[in-house]
Amino acid sequence: MNKEIIIDKLRTIFINVLEHEDFEINDELSAGDVSGWDSLSHMLIIGEVEEMFSIKFKFKELNKMKNLGDMITLIGNKLNL
Amino acid sequence: MVFTSFNFLIFFPIVAIVYYLTPKKYRWLSLLIASYFFYINIKPVFALLTIGISLSTYIFTKLIDNTEDENKKKNYMVVNIILILLPLFFFKYFNEINSSIFTLLESFNLRWPLPEIKMILPIGISYYTFMAIGYTIDVYNEEIEAENNFGIVALFISFFPLILSGPIERANSMLPQFRESKSPNYKMISSGLKLMLWGYFMKLVVADRVGIYVDAVFENYEFHNGTTLMIATLLYPFQVYADLGGYSLIAIGVSKILGLNVRENFRRPFFATSMSEFWRRWHMSLITWLTDYLYTPITFAVRKYKIWGIVIALMITFIISGIWHGASLAFVTWGVIQGLFLSTEALTNKKKIAFEKKHNLNRKIGYIFINIIITYVLFATSEVFGRGTDMSVALTVFYKIFTTSGEIFIGTSSTVIYMFVGILLLFLKDFTDEYYPNNFLLFENKNKIVRILSYSAIIIIILLIGVLDGGQFIYFQF
Repeated sequence: MNKEIIIDKLRTIFINVLEHEDFEINDELSAGDVSGWDSLSHMLIIGEVEEMFSIKFKFKELNKMKNLGDMITLIGNKLNL
Repeated sequence: MVFTSFNFLIFFPIVAIVYYLTPKKYRWLSLLIASYFFYINIKPVFALLTIGISLSTYIFTKLIDNTEDENKKKNYMVVNIILILLPLFFFKYFNEINSSIFTLLESFNLRWPLPEIKMILPIGISYYTFMAIGYTIDVYNEEIEAENNFGIVALFISFFPLILSGPIERANSMLPQFRESKSPNYKMISSGLKLMLWGYFMKLVVADRVGIYVDAVFENYEFHNGTTLMIATLLYPFQVYADLGGYSLIAIGVSKILGLNVRENFRRPFFATSMSEFWRRWHMSLITWLTDYLYTPITFAVRKYKIWGIVIALMITFIISGIWHGASLAFVTWGVIQGLFLSTEALTNKKKIAFEKKHNLNRKIGYIFINIIITYVLFATSEVFGRGTDMSVALTVFYKIFTTSGEIFIGTSSTVIYMFVGILLLFLKDFTDEYYPNNFLLFENKNKIVRILSYSAIIIIILLIGVLDGGQFIYFQF
């Protein structure tokens, strides 16, 4: 699975959970930039990501995930890319 | 020594001058000495607690940093959290648990062998305990490195502006500021003084005046009719906001004069249009603390239940917050009510947003106004359980509100007039800050004369109608 496919799948999850498309996907995108991405939706998104890619995050990893780039790298590592 | 005491007005300028005269390298030390002087002045024995918590936190955070073994790191964190929570549990809950078991056994005609121990809760214990726990978890999560200088850790835990009632600060914001002191700066000192002035106004004029009326009603609730009890219920949030909000502004202002930036604690809470927004504006340093160290780990643990996991986390977080306020059924009820409010909003959030979009309501003044009123009334209602009274008192208050009515209790008419002058000024200030942040400026006006006139007016109001005989801060007891 390459980076583009990961991004595509993430985009689907974000639209599903947040119910809008008013964000631009890039490595620097962080929760604060996206309307509706708050402490409620954050864990819903995390849960969907884990399900979609069949991976499990550790709590410590979540804390270190500061933007979308970090998330994509972490997913890539978990998928042994 | 509290911020509203005469002693503090002598203590603080001396501290500020000595602080800036000290060479930069040792400024943290002058603050540490001032902080211990401040705390010891309240009760010397309390200082043993802050020393103990500082030592334990210093040692365990170093141990966490010095090992690579994940299990050991976790154990060190857990041991330190338990160690520093022990005094809080002991002082806060021993008597309450003891006396409830006592009453329970007595109702079965049994005697409880332990006598009740007279204990005073060390002032500020929850605040520095929370700060020490936050620091420990941050080091464990590798958000921050363990501090090498024991004095800086001790200062973080005992820093006098924050020790009595917060704002609950974080190590990653304070430790670097303690290490590198700033030079005296006109802008920071003047904005610090303005914050202090408004803080004193909120505390002495609004909180303590409203407090006189609200206490007179609630402490004699049997004798008052439902209409009066309803008025007092609706006034009480203003008292709490002006009390803790005013205290926090003084703390933030004092820190600013020393060149240290401290996070804000309240952001015009009564203009929130929903309970979830309210809790992002009310006692923010506590709520973000609870979010980071309680709510988020819980939602992570129960994330497979999706939105219901969030409901579980909200309920647990607010029930714990209720118990933190006090080990009583009324406080637990308070937590349950907040949890229910927020869960309901979480579950209906999407429908609400869709409804608002469809009818284009977000900018309609009438809709915003109704939501602000509903949010305020919901909060005021829940606070009847959050006043520290017995469950039966809270229930009687509600019963009377719904079943009796009559003339509104006035008491001393001057108290009521002063109270409304205070509330009106506070409301106008928050209203203009919220909706017209660049207009109607007084403290920040470009014209020097307007500025000087507004400072003078507030000082005169404080001296004329402030309660200057040393009322207590509600939040010290937590």
